[in-house]
Amino acid sequence: MTARLKPRLGSAAEATALIALVAACHGAPVEPCPSPRVAGIAAQQAAPVARPSPFDSAFAAAGAEFDVPPALLKAIGWVETRWQMVQGAEEFPGRAPVFGVMALRGAALERGAALASVTPDAARRDPVANIRAAAALLRAYAAEAGGDWDAAAVRFSGIDLPAGRVAYTRAITRAQGRVGPAAAAAACPPPNPGGAPDYAAAVWRASPNFNQRPADQTGTLHMVIIHTCESSYASCWSWLVNPVSQASAHYVVDEEGGEISQLVREPDRAWHIAALYDCALNRRHDCGLNGVQSNDFTVGIEHAGFASQTSFPASQLEASAALVCDVTRDRGIPRDWQHIVGHGQLQPADRTDPGPHWPWIAYLHRVQARCGEVVVDDSAQFNDASVATASVPATWTAADTTPDYYGGGYRWAPTQPAATDAAVFSFLVTAAGSRTLDARWTSGTNRSPRAEYAVITSAGVTLATVPVDQRTGGGSWHALGTWTFPAGWNRVALLRRDASGTVVVADAVRVRE
Amino acid sequence: MTTRIVGLLLVSALIACRRDKLRQADPSGAALSAAAAPQDTAFAGTTASVHRARPIRPGVPPALLRAVETGSGPGYDRVVFEFAGDSVPGYHVEYVTAAVRRCGSGDAVSVAGAARLVVRFEPARAHDERGNPSPPERERATRLPAVKDMKLVCDFEGQVEWVLGVAAAAPYRVSETTGPARLVVDIRHRP
Repeated sequence: MTARLKPRLGSAAEATALIALVAACHGAPVEPCPSPRVAGIAAQQAAPVARPSPFDSAFAAAGAEFDVPPALLKAIGWVETRWQMVQGAEEFPGRAPVFGVMALRGAALERGAALASVTPDAARRDPVANIRAAAALLRAYAAEAGGDWDAAAVRFSGIDLPAGRVAYTRAITRAQGRVGPAAAAAACPPPNPGGAPDYAAAVWRASPNFNQRPADQTGTLHMVIIHTCESSYASCWSWLVNPVSQASAHYVVDEEGGEISQLVREPDRAWHIAALYDCALNRRHDCGLNGVQSNDFTVGIEHAGFASQTSFPASQLEASAALVCDVTRDRGIPRDWQHIVGHGQLQPADRTDPGPHWPWIAYLHRVQARCGEVVVDDSAQFNDASVATASVPATWTAADTTPDYYGGGYRWAPTQPAATDAAVFSFLVTAAGSRTLDARWTSGTNRSPRAEYAVITSAGVTLATVPVDQRTGGGSWHALGTWTFPAGWNRVALLRRDASGTVVVADAVRVRE
Repeated sequence: MTTRIVGLLLVSALIACRRDKLRQADPSGAALSAAAAPQDTAFAGTTASVHRARPIRPGVPPALLRAVETGSGPGYDRVVFEFAGDSVPGYHVEYVTAAVRRCGSGDAVSVAGAARLVVRFEPARAHDERGNPSPPERERATRLPAVKDMKLVCDFEGQVEWVLGVAAAAPYRVSETTGPARLVVDIRHRP
């Protein structure tokens, strides 16, 4: 590794950009080529140093006392502990435990404490002493590095691995809202044909932990499994590219959604879920796959973090949603809760990830929005109320007996020649334009061969009435047509007006840009 | 009960004092538990599952498995899982009849012996932050009277799982020690 922190450039930001650029373009297969797309998502978020922290006054005071940029202190505190007072325990043999907001450890803690004239114990337990000791240490490191704060910060990290040092510097840079990585992106070499990510925005970090999917239909990729790493991002991908781990995933999304690693090509079989498939755990979807090893037909996406988290950062969810949109679009996977599924759902015996606080409904709405679609379900709980709502009269009965519905079930009603109580699916169009509509139902021999969908504009104009045969084709989307809609709440009314003796199923309507 | 605890502490002390030497002298670890064999050889034990959950807190790193020791004493075999830090993570110990699978690939794993005892830890890991396996030994053909074989089948997403191939589904007992943190599994030689 030749990327050293030696070059003395005009500004720290330039030095960071150079380090990232040299690392990115040096040919090491695991080094990041930061993507403009993902970086763009991250850039929309306020930099951590711009947000309030519980230790702002301590960062400011210690910065002034030891002549260290308070923003650097705050950024290091963010990257190391997310501004939490860590009580260290020895985690790795030979590696001393870390303490406090600044994650000081071992000899560095002792030196910082001495420089700040506090006891080592105070530097461990007291946040102000901890931050002062860190500031004193950084001041000393910077002096020894000729005033280079990036060099001081990377030394502070204690990381030896060159790739880890680059990643740390980038994290510190981002935490301060500086734009090192975007500058490097333009200089990235074109993807290597032998190892290009399927997702253009991803950093390719090849894992040896994969094999071939089955050649028959069971190997057809048609489900996405959502995981949490139960660790940090760097720890996660670096373990999954290690042959010893005997585990992998196709993708790993970092904590803030600023970077995504691809470890295994989508057509290959990654090793992320041990369970044999059981459709009873998945709304009785695809029961023909029961007993098939779930890695055979799934794409695995890990997320830095923990199933026990009480929430997930919006930027991480957004980056993940953009990735899942890309995967589902490329592979023809429907964007619903049978096809985008949690690890714990399919493997309840010993897994819970991504945990009870993964926002499944809102997450899927993000995925759909990224792919330019809105789905209107028959039940309000599965709709994004800002753009979709359904009105289903009480004469329609709720059911979930026939699988492969959208959401949590569907409604059905018997046909009657004079019925006027339609199930109405409404969607918001913000600017007049063309939309393609699709309908979904669950099929059966008792279904109507002539269920009519009336397409009605926000002005009350009926554009078309489209009959469909609901006896077949359940569980997938069927195009009704493409029309130009005015701004406002347009709608599709599913009628049950027909000779009696059959039933009409109202499940969902999809609106595509 | 008191005798048992004292005995266990004594064993632990012996293990703690002699571990490094014994490791060098006998990499299989067989001598270790022979030296440390306690007196109570007729514990009742159980063949049901033993479970102890520990909270998983975001930001708190999983416990690192530091060493695995195996050995045999009069009447039972002993497997010791030692963790860095102060306490043992949550664990689940159970005889299983279904195939044991690697938690990533889902590949079935075979072990010697007629029965399989699974020992699973959470939140835990068996590798350091640089991706070095800890302990480096991921399987061991123990060839003891009860424990014939053991393999690490999971080190992924905060779970570490070992499967022990045992001669028969004999009663076992589980105990914890602190300083250092260890989970001790004793498996009787005879059902």
